[in-house]
Amino acid sequence: MVLGIVLAVWLILPIFIKRILRISFFELQAPVGLAASYVRDLQDYWSLRTRSNNDLIAAGRDLVRLNASYEVAIQQNESLRQQVARLESILRLPSLTRYRSEPARVARRDFNGWWQRMTVRKGRNYCITVGAPVIFSGGIVGKVAEVHAYTCTVDLISSPNLRIAATLDGDTRPLSYQGGDNPSFGPPLGIAEYVPTDASASPTSPKRLVTSGLGGVFPAGLIIGEITRLETSTDGLFKTGDVRLDPRLAEITEVTILVPLLPN
Amino acid sequence: MRRTLVTFLSLVLLWFLVSQANHELSPWRISVFAGGLFVVFAALRLERREGLIAVFAAGLLHDSVAPVWFGLHALLFTAAHAFIYHIRQRVHREETLVGVLAVLLANLGIFLGLSFAVARTLPTGIDPWPRLLMDLLVSQLALAAITPWFLSLQSHALAWAGDPQRPDHSRLT
Repeated sequence: MVLGIVLAVWLILPIFIKRILRISFFELQAPVGLAASYVRDLQDYWSLRTRSNNDLIAAGRDLVRLNASYEVAIQQNESLRQQVARLESILRLPSLTRYRSEPARVARRDFNGWWQRMTVRKGRNYCITVGAPVIFSGGIVGKVAEVHAYTCTVDLISSPNLRIAATLDGDTRPLSYQGGDNPSFGPPLGIAEYVPTDASASPTSPKRLVTSGLGGVFPAGLIIGEITRLETSTDGLFKTGDVRLDPRLAEITEVTILVPLLPN
Repeated sequence: MRRTLVTFLSLVLLWFLVSQANHELSPWRISVFAGGLFVVFAALRLERREGLIAVFAAGLLHDSVAPVWFGLHALLFTAAHAFIYHIRQRVHREETLVGVLAVLLANLGIFLGLSFAVARTLPTGIDPWPRLLMDLLVSQLALAAITPWFLSLQSHALAWAGDPQRPDHSRLT
């Protein structure tokens, strides 16, 4: 009886009231999750304070080497960027989507059998947009699903509902990637579909899968994972296979959100 | 109203602890679902209206962060509350063991309800059940361990808020 009344009231409740309720409850819990994230950062800070000076000197030396190699990469990137701009103007090509990189800390990971999501500590306050690609040093993390006042929610690449236009590294033919099963105690997996029949992959010689740039969400060339198994699909026209994703996805603490820049 | 608020705040604390536990468990690809624990104290110890509001609000809290139809958790929690409230006259509801069993039963029902609702939205070719069954097993074990503590915490929270446990008149009718 009570359940029926609650169900009936809930079903006839106007959508805008439900929307207000959803936003209110989200913003009610948001500071709680964020506070825990800041406390974890503080724990890391104090644990780092216990390191010896020798450790810090060694880390500083490594960083100097890393920075030197990044400086070279930045110069090469700038030269390539100018070359692309020149070719675009000569060939009158539409310019590629440009992105602003927004690094963000992960506040909460929520990986279960139903969905794979994470909350990061930047939202509307940093002009994050829904659908923006999210990456890390190992490749794609996912894309922004919801944006809130100070946080945003990212749908992980391992989420079964996420699909990406992809291609094999070194190939131009498009195929489809979709998040797959996420077994307990194992690495996250995805599924590659519509793979050309002349492609082959095995656990000993996996094929790297990268974004194709089609669809306009993800820039081309970002690493998705490695295809470790391919078999001919039931219609015989394509192959289907398993994609092994980066195991670091499950313990990621910092990501970069690529916010698309408007052409003007 | 005070009992509802105190119970709801204790459920927010539980939600926070479970979400932090899941954050830390994510490298092992397991997660804990504690839906049953959000329902049982309110269903066994509070009056119907007080418990229902607290449980429904806790369900909306879950819905606000989940990619599901808004209200799904709330309605599943309400259904579990209605069921346990209905049978509470026939059990020794002050006993911890009864509380633990009710939590495990409610958790199983809510978990399966949620799983069937979400599984319908998954693309074909995805088999989430092995992972879901492992999550369910881990959740039930975790709940069996923490339920006595949490039910006690909720009782003490009501006492600290200056609300003595009122005799349950519905039990006499």
